[in-house]
Amino acid sequence: MKNSLTFFLGLFFALVLSWAGIVFGAHAQLSRLAPYFDENEGKAFPERMPGIAARGQLVYQDLGCAACHTQQVRRPDFGSDKARGWGERQSVARDYVSQSNVQLGSSRIGPDLANFGARPAAVDAQRLTRYLYDQHGGMPSYRFLFETRKITGERSAQALPVTVPAGREVVPTPRAEALVAYLQSLSNVYEYPEARPVAPVESKEAAK
Amino acid sequence: MTTASSAAPSAEVTAIDASARCPLLLLLGAALLWLVVSGALALLNLLQLSTPSLAADCAVMTFGRTAAMQQTAFLYGWAANAGLAVVLWLLGRLGGSPLRSLNWTVAGALFWNLSVALSLVGIGTGDGASHAWLHLPAYVQPLMLVAYAAMVVPGVLAWTGRRQPMMFAAQWYAVAALVLFPWIFSGAQLMLSFAPERGVLQALVAGWFGQGAWSLWLAPLALAAAYYLVPKVGGRAIPSYDFAILSFWTLIFVGSWTGGRHLIGGPVPAWTITVAGVACVLLLFHYIVVGINLRGAFACGGSTVLRFIALGLGAYLLGGLGDALTAFRGVAVVTQFTHLATAQSQLALTGAFSLTIFGAIYFMVPRLTGQAWPSGSLIRGHFFAALLGTLILIGALAVAGWIQGQDLNNATVSFAAIAAHTQPWLLIAAAGQAVLVVGNGLLLVHLVRAIACRWLKPAPAIFPEAPTMEVSRS
Repeated sequence: MKNSLTFFLGLFFALVLSWAGIVFGAHAQLSRLAPYFDENEGKAFPERMPGIAARGQLVYQDLGCAACHTQQVRRPDFGSDKARGWGERQSVARDYVSQSNVQLGSSRIGPDLANFGARPAAVDAQRLTRYLYDQHGGMPSYRFLFETRKITGERSAQALPVTVPAGREVVPTPRAEALVAYLQSLSNVYEYPEARPVAPVESKEAAK
Repeated sequence: MTTASSAAPSAEVTAIDASARCPLLLLLGAALLWLVVSGALALLNLLQLSTPSLAADCAVMTFGRTAAMQQTAFLYGWAANAGLAVVLWLLGRLGGSPLRSLNWTVAGALFWNLSVALSLVGIGTGDGASHAWLHLPAYVQPLMLVAYAAMVVPGVLAWTGRRQPMMFAAQWYAVAALVLFPWIFSGAQLMLSFAPERGVLQALVAGWFGQGAWSLWLAPLALAAAYYLVPKVGGRAIPSYDFAILSFWTLIFVGSWTGGRHLIGGPVPAWTITVAGVACVLLLFHYIVVGINLRGAFACGGSTVLRFIALGLGAYLLGGLGDALTAFRGVAVVTQFTHLATAQSQLALTGAFSLTIFGAIYFMVPRLTGQAWPSGSLIRGHFFAALLGTLILIGALAVAGWIQGQDLNNATVSFAAIAAHTQPWLLIAAAGQAVLVVGNGLLLVHLVRAIACRWLKPAPAIFPEAPTMEVSRS
């Protein structure tokens, strides 16, 4: 190969081709995807995150939670996602349209969280807060999201029921509260037309 | 065309080497420093997997952040600096003239390494961008692009001003790595940080960038070194050289299409995953040709340089096969989201890239300093540590990943039980990583000694002056 210009243009063309194929191709397909308006319920899904949950997403991002947790449920017959109670249906692109920073994740050292807000573990905010404070199974504690302070006046309603020196209390910082609100907001139970679980194909003979 | 392949395995020092001494040693020193930092962080990270309470109360050292810092130090600290040092040097040699405008490299390297340091601080304090392969905080990304452009100026000048119009395989890979990275890097910055795509498109862009950074940047950097050194040190022409060009363009055209294999079963258009799988299989052609072309490395005949490159090449070929296998949905259902995926990326980075570049460093540094490496035992120590550490780390992670994958697919096994099942293997992996850190530390010490020896007590040069510049030897 002798001609530098041809070589250079070849490199450029190869890169543009992969960009056009993967990035632009998917962009053309998905960029117009809008929330789905349900006339019966009178609102659009996915619902926008409340402000505190959106702040919590930033905490989730900056602590690198995605290093251990995915947020993508796979279809019921692929892996054990449904059997583990992570979601009745697979995640679809529309679930993420209103998220500013998508955290699909690529490692499941801990459970998937795409649908965490709909699970029983997430119902009680205080229990969830406690979960972040204590080490739990393989998950480290996040005590730096909490503050140990002197009780002035009334004991805080947010104070954790943990043993601390008399006259002091452990309370979650605003970052911990935002993270908990974010985790509670994670839900993709709404069934979009494209997300209905594909019914297992039963043989027609068996149906008769 | 077969300039380097016909060159005798002599150890000459040319004016090209002497002129580039300081800038390239600066890059190598910085690279090895980052490699040790990244190795120490990786060790902490692996220990945290089996002992979650380790450093858990320190916000900077929380697991997610150390993982991101470790990867950033490795990719942008070690791989970028070392890869560029090797490639600039070989472009100078193959171009046939001393490298010009090396001040640009020095200035660029200062800003680049400053940016990497700033990135680690940024990630530690919570500014990371949290995309795989792109954890760099948004505020350092443009600076790094400019610094990179400055660093590669001498390489591009050496290529455009080469004395011989015909390009050798090492030059294709080197030039491709130099010019393609800024394009994918700027594209990713634009589409992820400054005008972010919506929804899952972010994951697709990140996948495209991450795969591009491997297939179009790091892998070509290592291959450039291998294509230069295997014929040069082995003293034999590259077999089946005519296929090398097809293999090169296969990697460049197909490589970055394989990014979607990490999203199997994910909420992205199914065709992106299928295309990635097909691309992984197509890419096998590239791996086969590289294996045939560079098989001379396996007959290393006691050369340290070729022993490292042979290991790196083995890891590269195995990695290609692994990528193709795990791109099948039936395999991915077990391996996806597990330590096995980590093992695969370590096979590429710690195995293929690092080991090949170590080989190049062992060849290059004596020619830059004009003196042999001060200690043979340090070289042997590093070789065995690198070999042992890499094997243990990747093997243990792969076994842990397979166990984890089987357990994950069985819904009755709790996460606590999975952690208990994988813990012994993760501890073994941590031991492997510890060996790697020690080995890489030895190389750093050795490099410092080699540089100190040159300036403190210059010994008579052991290499004869080269009779002529490289290209005129053909």
